[in-house]
Amino acid sequence: MADETTTKIKTFIVEEFMPDVPVEDLEDDYDLLTGGVVDSLGLLKVVAWLEDEFDIGVDDSDLGPDSFRTVAAIKAYVDQARDPAHAE
Amino acid sequence: MSQTTTRTIADHFAEQAERRPDAAALIWDGEPISYAELLALADAAHAEIEGARLPLDRPVGIRAKKSPEAIALIIACLRAGHAFLLPSIELASETLAQLFAQAGTSQVLSPHGPRSESAASLRALVDDARAQPGEGGLGSQSEWPPAGGAEGVTFMLTTSGSTGLPKIVPLQNAGVDAFTDWAAAKFEIRPGTVVANYAPLNFDLCLLDIWTTLKYGGTVAMVDQDRATQGAYLAELIGDNEVNVLQAVPMLYRLLIDVNREDGRTFPSVRHAITTGDKIPASSLAELPKLFPNARFYNVYGCTETNDSLVHEFLGLAEGNVPTNVPVGQPIPGVIVRVQSEDGTALEGTGTGEFMVWTPFQTRGYLKSSLNEGKFVTLEDDDGRTYYKSGDIVRRHDDGTLTLEGRADFYVKVRGVRVSTQVVEQAIQEHPAVIEVAVIAVPDELAGARLHATVRREADAKLNSLQLRQHCSTRLARTEMPSTIQIVTDPLPKTSTGKVDRKAVAAELERSRANGG
Repeated sequence: MADETTTKIKTFIVEEFMPDVPVEDLEDDYDLLTGGVVDSLGLLKVVAWLEDEFDIGVDDSDLGPDSFRTVAAIKAYVDQARDPAHAE
Repeated sequence: MSQTTTRTIADHFAEQAERRPDAAALIWDGEPISYAELLALADAAHAEIEGARLPLDRPVGIRAKKSPEAIALIIACLRAGHAFLLPSIELASETLAQLFAQAGTSQVLSPHGPRSESAASLRALVDDARAQPGEGGLGSQSEWPPAGGAEGVTFMLTTSGSTGLPKIVPLQNAGVDAFTDWAAAKFEIRPGTVVANYAPLNFDLCLLDIWTTLKYGGTVAMVDQDRATQGAYLAELIGDNEVNVLQAVPMLYRLLIDVNREDGRTFPSVRHAITTGDKIPASSLAELPKLFPNARFYNVYGCTETNDSLVHEFLGLAEGNVPTNVPVGQPIPGVIVRVQSEDGTALEGTGTGEFMVWTPFQTRGYLKSSLNEGKFVTLEDDDGRTYYKSGDIVRRHDDGTLTLEGRADFYVKVRGVRVSTQVVEQAIQEHPAVIEVAVIAVPDELAGARLHATVRREADAKLNSLQLRQHCSTRLARTEMPSTIQIVTDPLPKTSTGKVDRKAVAAELERSRANGG
């Protein structure tokens, strides 16, 4: 059911920030910021990885916490960045 | 003055030995040692000390691992009227030498007598430390006598010395006397009472479990330091000797709980179970009534400088009334407490502040008087009373009870916000699958500090860091949430006092980071 982008994002976050957790335990809507999984410094790591992995540019103005609060939010951001026409 | 009016523990002990010579004074390695036998050992040690003609106006050093001979040696020093410095034997020999030199000791004694080889080599070390010029030999100059006077000083213990040289704490005989009287009455220590001694000999805890017991004619069941982490040995010592009074750090209770899970052993002889030195986790507390069906349970709060100052009795543990944040307790009769707000005024009503205390048992100050500044504070607005500033931050609740918020030293700045690593530990500890936890601040260029938690979970629990974060998210602020969480099943490193050794955890973390782990 999980699409490839979501799985990639989850795998990265789990490997990077909580290697003891099985990937499937990380829910799409888990609040990564409130849970302290990703802090403001971790966010920069996530962004760098996204730019690299999906070949997208992340604008500084998008760096507000809400764009990256959950796996679902990150996936939505990636989808939109790759194909702006289908976004919204 | 006080020396002539207050009898020492040696006097009381001699009286007990005369009255009940055949009663067991100690149990060591499974064998009872009677009051008469211990008195004979003390007599022999006393004769040696007298024969050495040591100057009475100078203290002696004692370097002794816990043993009946070591206890006899201390009794002999008390009888001879020598103040004595009793540091931890675990200290490095250079540190020991510095301490003995700072105390101005005339001789370092070990239980085999002043002429033993180990004592001689230490004496040489002391001379070395003295020979160094003031600059290089930090703390090696004699600070004897104490600024408050040498009169009545007997025991000289040291602080744990987590930073720098341990501080020497001279205790007045009158204070020791008052404390042992209180302890005997509170925990019903009298002829026939068996009291377990878990702590090493140099700990202030021994004033309760060894010295109160010998003063009042009870029996001390001594834990061998080398086996202090062996649950089966401890269970046997406490069970087989029908211990009535048990005082120890939470680690001992944890070890006994593990034994109980294995073989169901309980300890019906225990009437008073005291936990001290560290906050006992609720998960341990909840198990205690099963292990000790006939006991009353206490948390005792104190430190070397003041001895015990607060006691909390847990009521209704068996009925499930288990506090997650253990109250530190009520002042012992005669103890005066002041909770000081950040602005330096005494806190009225509820809130947090630094715990300051005056006790009838407290030292007049560290031997090295320059250390007293900022720790012993005389307040003119408070009858000129000298308080000890504990460095502990406490919260006073609306019913007047005090709980520990953490050490003032444990506050770190995370992204500019003051965070107590102990508050974070407490929140993590509340998870039922967590056995123990260490939260440390890792220096970080950007954040100032980031928090790391190493958590030991129950081996059969499934707990992972994600679940733990969920657990913490309702209990902690964002800045309090650890950046990294490591979950382990092996015991965390411990200090010699049985507390989780955060420094060792931090060192391990650094090592694994350096190895790219």
